[in-house]
Amino acid sequence: MANLYIDNVHKSFGETHILKGIDMDIADGEFIILVGPSGCGKSTLMNCIAGLEQVTTGRVIIDDEDVTQSMPKDRDIAMVFQSYALYPNMNVWKNIAFGLEIRKLPKEEIEETVGRVADLLQIRDLLKRKPSQLSGGQRQRVAMGRALARDPKIFLFDEPLSNLDAKLRVEMRTEIKKLHQRLGTTIVYVTHDQIEAMTLANRIAVMKEGHIQQFGTPQEVYDNPANQFVAGFMGSPSMNFIRCQVVDHQGDATIAMSVDGKDFHLPIPQQEKGVRERVGQEVVLGIRPEQITDVVPQQEQASTLANVDAEIIVTEPTGADTLTLIRMNDQEVNCRVHPARAGAPGDTMTFMINMDKAVFFDLASGDRI
Amino acid sequence: MTVKHSNRRYSEITGRAVLYAILIIVAIYYLIPLVIMISTSFRDMNDIRFGHLIDLPSSFSFEAWRMAWSEVQIGARRQLGLRPYFINSLLITIPAVTISVILGAVNGYVLSFWRFKGSNIFFALLLFGCFLPFQAILLPQATVLGKIGLSGTIPGLVLTHVVYGVAFTTLFYRNYYVSLPGELVKAAQLDGAGFWRIFWRIILPLSTPITVVAVIWQFTQIWNDFLFGVAFSSPQSQPVTVGLNNMVNSSTGEVRYNVDMAGAIIAALPTLAVYVIAGKYFVRGLTAGSVKG
Ligand SMILES: Nc1ncnc2c1ncn2[C@@H]1O[C@H](COP(=O)(O)OP(=O)(O)OP(=O)(O)O)[C@@H](O)[C@H]1O
Ligand SMILES: [Mg+2]
Repeated sequence: MANLYIDNVHKSFGETHILKGIDMDIADGEFIILVGPSGCGKSTLMNCIAGLEQVTTGRVIIDDEDVTQSMPKDRDIAMVFQSYALYPNMNVWKNIAFGLEIRKLPKEEIEETVGRVADLLQIRDLLKRKPSQLSGGQRQRVAMGRALARDPKIFLFDEPLSNLDAKLRVEMRTEIKKLHQRLGTTIVYVTHDQIEAMTLANRIAVMKEGHIQQFGTPQEVYDNPANQFVAGFMGSPSMNFIRCQVVDHQGDATIAMSVDGKDFHLPIPQQEKGVRERVGQEVVLGIRPEQITDVVPQQEQASTLANVDAEIIVTEPTGADTLTLIRMNDQEVNCRVHPARAGAPGDTMTFMINMDKAVFFDLASGDRI
Repeated sequence: MTVKHSNRRYSEITGRAVLYAILIIVAIYYLIPLVIMISTSFRDMNDIRFGHLIDLPSSFSFEAWRMAWSEVQIGARRQLGLRPYFINSLLITIPAVTISVILGAVNGYVLSFWRFKGSNIFFALLLFGCFLPFQAILLPQATVLGKIGLSGTIPGLVLTHVVYGVAFTTLFYRNYYVSLPGELVKAAQLDGAGFWRIFWRIILPLSTPITVVAVIWQFTQIWNDFLFGVAFSSPQSQPVTVGLNNMVNSSTGEVRYNVDMAGAIIAALPTLAVYVIAGKYFVRGLTAGSVKG
């Protein structure tokens, strides 16, 4: 158990700058999710925290102690590697027990710990096997087991569930959440899975090209993205971005929109004050698919609503909802409608646009307005 | 369709037959000298004297082998036969192979997993050692051996072979280790293992294929070495290659082919044995790295 403070960490490999000033202040017991596109430096940051890569400049502070120059083994960190990194010459049992043996735990305690971890990860039958005799998902669970057998200050998980089937992944996700609630160990966890990110995190850090774009609670990041990149990255299917003009309509700033040749105005929500000052300018409207639905009568009174008839281009049923593609301002927009109410491609149906959670970005910089 | 198909099979079979024929001819071509050596070594001198030099033995005896091993007078040496030279070769080869292979493994381990500033330059310079011709180091090495008082001794020869061999063994191990995933060492570090423990427990157990390659390579190089053996030895520390040469050259009177052949086989036997025992791994080890665990 420990807090973790990453202070302006830079990391370069030769001339390539990978991490360009990472600042994170992580409290004791927090569950931090790190997301970002492939190659943005997530694994590199994990390696820097663990001490497996020397930071170029900056500091890593664990438990109020500067460990920037400490050896990995002195930092008391357990990590699940993206590539598993199981010891090929040892069987599963040995793989899990190796770290415990080095730390000179008594034999009975090692036996007990390995057993407990094996049960947790459902790998008890595999204990005698070598890594080469395991499937990808089994190897990944062994890699998890090796970390979970320890009781470190900090857990680092680099995409630990990426190779599991859907059912096992959900089970393991729950196990990790329970484990965190029980142990309260600080965790930094990399994932590409939106649901994992939203369900597990106390806070999410969104990274891009070596910078942290936003660091906040899942709801903050989802509802209040700092810029267009974060907005587009979080959420699946991703947020719709529609270029549009801010106009003065009967003394009020609104958004001019045209759907299938019909012009109309969309209200700007109360909290988006900045946009009102941009009358006459073009901005990017960000609105999530679930904000554009079939008409729900009991909500129809709200001031942030607008109904519009639009022609359906494509439908993609997902089971729970049907994703429906329409065109607004000549740009494709995804809407999420009830399967029973969804029309067929070519039909025209009425959509209800809820501007309550709409956000706006600067056209040039992509920053939030 | 069927006709075409059987045609193709027919041509495939002829192709194969031609291939095997060529292989067999080449194999015979290579094996004949060995067969003649072996058969001659079991003939007695009368048989050779009155028959053809190249002939199957009409008699069969171990006489020539015994002579070569422990009875022929070689130079002015008091002990007879190749035996003392053979023992010298063992005393040179075994420690030299062991030490150079261990050093190569540790070097390769450091150069692959514990890079330091300038380690690439270090490795490049080390590679020069592989391309250095033997003759080039004769004089400087003789001076060094003289200065440290190891001229003409077995430890001096061991040292020479170790120094010269480390370049090769390092190259072998380094190239093998860079193909292993670096995360293995990282994971072991987080598990709390140090430099040597990671080497012993994680890396070395994965090194069998390349160790076989390095041992075979070093063993044949050192055992078969003649130049260092002749240049840096005294009569008391000469290896078997030098002994064989002296034996063949110093025989007075008629040439005893059977003894010479037996001696040559004795000198070649250990390398042959190493190949037979470990040759399978040798081929496998050379292609290792493409096969991940
Ligand atoms: N040892 C290294 N030498 C040079 N470049 C490296 C090294 N390790 C990583 N990189 C580069 O750093 C960048 C970030 O790599 P990193 O593995 O941190 O990405 P990531 O965010 O974890 O991506 P992914 O989601 O695909 O795992 C990549 O462009 C990669 O090529
Ligand atoms: Mg990664």
